[in-house]
Parts: sequence; structure tokens; C-alpha cells
Amino acid sequence: MSVVPKSSRGPSWWTYMRRSKTRTYIISALFILPALINFAIFRYVPILWAARASTWQYSLLGGYREWIGMEHYLRALQDPILHKSLRVTFTYVLVKMPLEMVLALALALFTNQVRKGMGTMRTIIFTPVVMSMVVVSVIWALIFNADSGLLNAFLRMIGLPKQIFLTNPKLALPSIITTAIWKDVGFSTILIVAGLKGIPGQFYEAAIVDGANRWQLFRHVTLPLLRRTLFFVVVTQTIFSFQVFIPVYSMTRGGPLDATKVIVYYIYQLGFLFQDMGYAAAVSMILLVIILIISLIQIRFLRSEVEY
Amino acid sequence: MLNPLRRHRTWWIAAALLVILSLVLAACQPAAPAPEAQPAEGQGEAAPAAAETGGKEPVVLKFLKLNDPVEAIAFAKIEEEFRKIDGGKWSYVSIEYDTVAFRDLFPKIETSVAAGVELDLIQADGPDMKHYAWNKVLIPLDEYFTEEEKAAFAPQSIEEGSYKGVFYGPPFMQSCSLMWYNRDFTDAAGIQPPKNLDDSWTMEEALDAWQKTTVDNDGDGTPDVWGIRWGQGTWTGDYEHGIFRRSNGEKGSPTYMGMAPDGVTFQGYFDTPEAIEAMQFYQDMHLKYKVTPVEPIPNIFQSKKAAFVVFPDNIIGDINNQYPDGGFNLEVTGIPYFKTQLCHTGSWHYGISANTKHFDEALAFVKFASSKEGSRIYYEALRQLPARLDLLNELPEYNEYPQKLVKEGFQKFGIPRIQTPGYTEYQQVFAEVAQNIASGADPAEQMKEGAIRIEQAVAKYKGWNE
Repeated sequence: MSVVPKSSRGPSWWTYMRRSKTRTYIISALFILPALINFAIFRYVPILWAARASTWQYSLLGGYREWIGMEHYLRALQDPILHKSLRVTFTYVLVKMPLEMVLALALALFTNQVRKGMGTMRTIIFTPVVMSMVVVSVIWALIFNADSGLLNAFLRMIGLPKQIFLTNPKLALPSIITTAIWKDVGFSTILIVAGLKGIPGQFYEAAIVDGANRWQLFRHVTLPLLRRTLFFVVVTQTIFSFQVFIPVYSMTRGGPLDATKVIVYYIYQLGFLFQDMGYAAAVSMILLVIILIISLIQIRFLRSEVEY
Repeated sequence: MLNPLRRHRTWWIAAALLVILSLVLAACQPAAPAPEAQPAEGQGEAAPAAAETGGKEPVVLKFLKLNDPVEAIAFAKIEEEFRKIDGGKWSYVSIEYDTVAFRDLFPKIETSVAAGVELDLIQADGPDMKHYAWNKVLIPLDEYFTEEEKAAFAPQSIEEGSYKGVFYGPPFMQSCSLMWYNRDFTDAAGIQPPKNLDDSWTMEEALDAWQKTTVDNDGDGTPDVWGIRWGQGTWTGDYEHGIFRRSNGEKGSPTYMGMAPDGVTFQGYFDTPEAIEAMQFYQDMHLKYKVTPVEPIPNIFQSKKAAFVVFPDNIIGDINNQYPDGGFNLEVTGIPYFKTQLCHTGSWHYGISANTKHFDEALAFVKFASSKEGSRIYYEALRQLPARLDLLNELPEYNEYPQKLVKEGFQKFGIPRIQTPGYTEYQQVFAEVAQNIASGADPAEQMKEGAIRIEQAVAKYKGWNE
């Protein structure tokens, strides 16, 4: 048996640790380790399990019954309710997102002014964000009620006819969108305000010296330098919007005539009420792919080319 | 070379990170055994210490049930009495309650079972018992109840609590919805609803009364008082709303049965011309005659905004709680019908989870809680129709109006909802169909599409009762 001289074994782990660069890497890794563990346990592992469940006949009570491969995905191609729920979800996102972004930008520009009371104003705008979505949904359902709702009382007061909001297929989704915007706009506003405050004042000063008016300041200074913030807000809010569930669950239960049956509500129905968790997992995987693709497109087109 | 201060700081940071890591890992460990004798709010007395229980280690039974503050009082009392029976034999047992809202109970049971949560007792809705039995979530209790003991329960409850003839759990209450009304409104309209079931109104006769009691005082197009609210809460569930379609069939007909005997066929039962005709009437109540709001208003009857309501007898307790000094003239009449008068019975059952590690204690509790003594405690707190016939026959109030009608209705025309392991799937589709019809969708189209959707959803149970 040959004996390897101690000096030829390479540096000990202690020596290795003491090297400055290695130590920095290890310390950095330790910093992100809790977050990584959290992500692995609560995000990635469930995604993998959902991918596995999507290939089985699986229900929560009955467990895994039979492996069926891609059968659930083929079923999804022919499922008219899924197709309708996808249409409803895209309509929801495509209407809500632009409205919310424009409103949030306007509110952010307004509350970013150096005026008395702007702090209070920002607090008022942000308050719905910290409220429970269930509470918000219940309150808005009462406001929208056809016979005893505040909104119809107001319409009657100004001489307009009563509207049925939540049980009218044409008005139910707009009602849900209104509720969601009221709840979420404060979050987007605060982020945009933070972005506005991060724009260095010298850019405005230089533009003013060059004779820029208010619109030109907004168009050529604020918007380009806010692009990074707007990119973040658009991507995160789009993802959240695709995952809308609580207002639908609380206000309309997907009706009437499936007019508000967004995809996450449909997944809930399939998994928890129709005992079809395998198919629900397959639909969840489809939603994951859709969100990933849309996020990649957004990242491609909204990436900021301006650094400051 | 690092300066000593910086090196120290680095080590502190590393140590702190290790502590955080340990905490994260500790949090991922399996749950520690349940703390002993730490009752939650609404729970009964804490489990006594081992020394006080003849040396037996305390046992905490975990009971997943509905969130109902009045029921919590009843169970605290039942638990207290349970610990005294058999000379304190079960004094080492206590109950820990996990309570959820009605609509969350079924999903919560599912997730608890799937997650392998240590669960001993389940409060199960009668129509869901077959589903739990099919999935082997509950332990069959047939051998622990003699025929004599089972005969003490209402036959509807035995049917609801059984799967393929095997008894899975005793009931602790029953119900049968009748039509209650506020006499101030019927007097004002000059109407006198019949006070015995033989003279109950047909749907057409009831519609006339609902129209007369729908009042729009200020002429703004929105009634100040509506004629009728059909059902508890604001949902279009099968318990009350499913009565329409079944009532339009003669006894024994496919419409009346509502579903084929195989428990998975709905075409030809759910979508018969009679069922569609009944649901057309249901739509007309909302949109043509406008005697009931399209969008349900919470507590519409209790807040004196509706003249009639279809509700079980727990409405008496609701009204007494809201009007403790009187001021609400509550009366009852038979439930309206088309061809056959019926009410859906609705018992809640005790179920023992297949995950339990304390079967003997759970069984002892279930047997006591469903006994005459336990059922009496429950009844005294909630005042809802008992599922035990021996108790029901002893209660003098059920021999007098208004509860006399509830007892008679239950015994005369109370039938369980359709009995299938796929009841939840059925009810989900039915509720959507009913909501769509009330909102103006074509009843024939909805019922036919609904029947197909239900069959697709329950196909997995094919052959369950063979």
C-alpha cells in the first residue's frame, strides 16, 4: 500500500475555506440557501409532483389509480369548458392589465408630486392592497347586487335603469375586473412611485434647460427611465392576473354560463369538486407553460435598454 | 490577511445562517405529537392529567367539522358528559376541533386525507357519505351498531349513512325544508296559508301568494318585499333547488327519482320534459313574475325583505336569535309542489377516519354523541329536527304547530337526495345549471347539457353499487 505524502494530497478543506474567493462564494451560497430551500420545497417540488400527477388517474381521496400517460393532455385539447375558461382568462388579463397599468401610472405621477397630502393619498390608494381579497370580494358583491346594491342605488339616483351585474353574462366579468383593479392598482402604483423616485433629477433639469415641456419630459425622460420598473410591474401583475381565483370563487362561482370561469377556478373545480386531480394537474401544467411563454415574450420586448 | 474584526463578523454571519438553516430544516420535520390538553376556542374541557385518569395517557381526538358557534357549545357539553359515562372510563379523552365553513368542508376533508393528517372524526354531510365510503376514507361501523340501535334512527338517515348496505356513520340531526312565512306580510296581502300538510299549495297556488306579497312601495322597480326566497343562504344547491325538478314527477317516475338506480346515469332522469318544465317555472319565478331576486340577498327573510322562505326548522332558532324580544310573526305551511310533494332530507353524520389511531376512543365518542342522551344535548342547543326517532317522539314541541308540520313533512314526504358516490360532482353541475336558468339561459338546453356533464363527471363510479 502506497502512502501518499501529506503535501501531495492537495490543500485541506480548511485551507480551501481560507482562500478569500472561495470563502466569499460559500458565504454567498449560505445567504441564498434558505431561499433556495424554500423555493425547492414549496415551488419546484410541487411543480414536479403536479407534472407526475398529470399522467395519472389521481384524486385526493382515492390516490393514484392508473398511469395514463398523456391522456389528460389529449383530453384538454377537446375540452370545450377548458377552451372557454382560457378565453375568459385571456379576456380578463387583456382587459385588466392595460387598464390597471394606465391607472397606476396616472396615480403614481399624481401622487409623486411634491404637494401636501400626497403621502396620505398614497396610503389611501395602497389600503385595498393590504385588505383580504375575500373581504374585498364580499363587499364588492354587495355593491354590485342587482336589488340592494350601492351601485344600482346610485344608478337609480341619477335616473339610469337598474343593471344586473353578477348574473348577467355580459357584465359579470367586467364586474370581477373592476373589483380586481380596485384591489391591485395600489400595488402597481407604489412600485411605479418607487421607480419615479429613482430617476435622477439631473435628467429632468437637463431636459428643461433644453426647453422640454411637460409632455416631452414624460415621453422622453420619465417613460424610458421607468421602463425597468414598468417591466417588473407588467410581468408580475400579468402572472398574478392569470392566477385570479378568489373574486370568482366569492362573487360568481364561475357563472353565469361560465362567463367568469377563469382557468384557476376551473382547476379548483376539477381537482376539489369533480375528484379529477390528475386532469386538474394537467390543466395546471398547461397554465404554467402559457405563463412561461407570455413572461418570456414580455421579457424580450420590455427589457430596458437604458441604464442609469 | 483579513483583519480580526472582519473575520469575526464573517463567522457571526456564517453562524447566523446556520441557525436560520437549522430553523428551516426543523420546520420541515414531521409535526410533533399534538400538545395534550390544550383546548382551542370553543373546545370542551382540557384533557385531565394522566394521574387523574387512572394512569391512562390523555388522548386527543381530532374532529374536522363545520364552523358553527352554537354547535360548538353543543359539542363542548357532549364532550363533558362523554367523559363522565361508564364511571369515567373515557375521562382521558378530549376533542380538538378543526372547524371550517360549509363550502370548504368537503375540500378540507379531501386535502386532510391526501396529506395524511392525523384525523379521528369527520362531520360528513349525508349525501357525501357514499363518496367517503367509496374512497375508503371512513371506517365502516356496521358491526358496532346493532339492528336495534340502527332502528332508533330515521330510515332516511340510515340510507344516507350507508354504502352498499353497510352502515358507515350515525346521524346527529335531520332536516326537511318547509315554507315559512312572515304573517305580517301575508295578513297585509289578505292571504291565509294552509296550516296542515294535506292542504299544501301547489306551485301555481303558491305563485299567486308570492305575487300578492311582492310589494314595491316606492315604484322604483325593485320590490321592498319579495314574495319568496327559495332556500337557505345564497347558493343554488340541490338540497332545496333540486326539489323543483323531482317534484314534477309522479312517485317512482324517472323525474321523481332524479337519477337511474345505477347512480351514474342522468340522461332520461335529469332532463325529462317534466324536469325541464319545472325548471322553466323556476326561471319564470325569477324573470317573468319577479317574485324572487335573481341575485340572492343574504338573510332576506330574516331581515323582513321576503314574505316566504323555504328553509329547515332551524329558521326558528335564527329568528329567535335575531328577534329575542319577539317582533317577528313566524309561521309555517307545507312546501309547494307540482305533482308530488317532497322535501329533501339532510342529515349530518359522524364518521371515523380511516387514519385514526384512536379507534376505540373515537367509536365510544360517536356512540355516545349519537345516543339519545347525546342527541338530546345537541337538540337542546340547536333545536333542529333530531335524527333519532325515539328522541323526536318524546319532544312535546313536535306535537304542536309549527314544528308538528316539520315532523309530519319529514315522515310523510321526506326523501334523501340522490344516493351516489358522485353527489358532489352532480351538485356542482346542478348548481351551475340552476344559476344559469335563473339568469335567463334556456332550461331545456341547460338540463340536457347538464345531464351529459354530470354523466361524464361521475363515470368513474360506474358499477359502484353492483
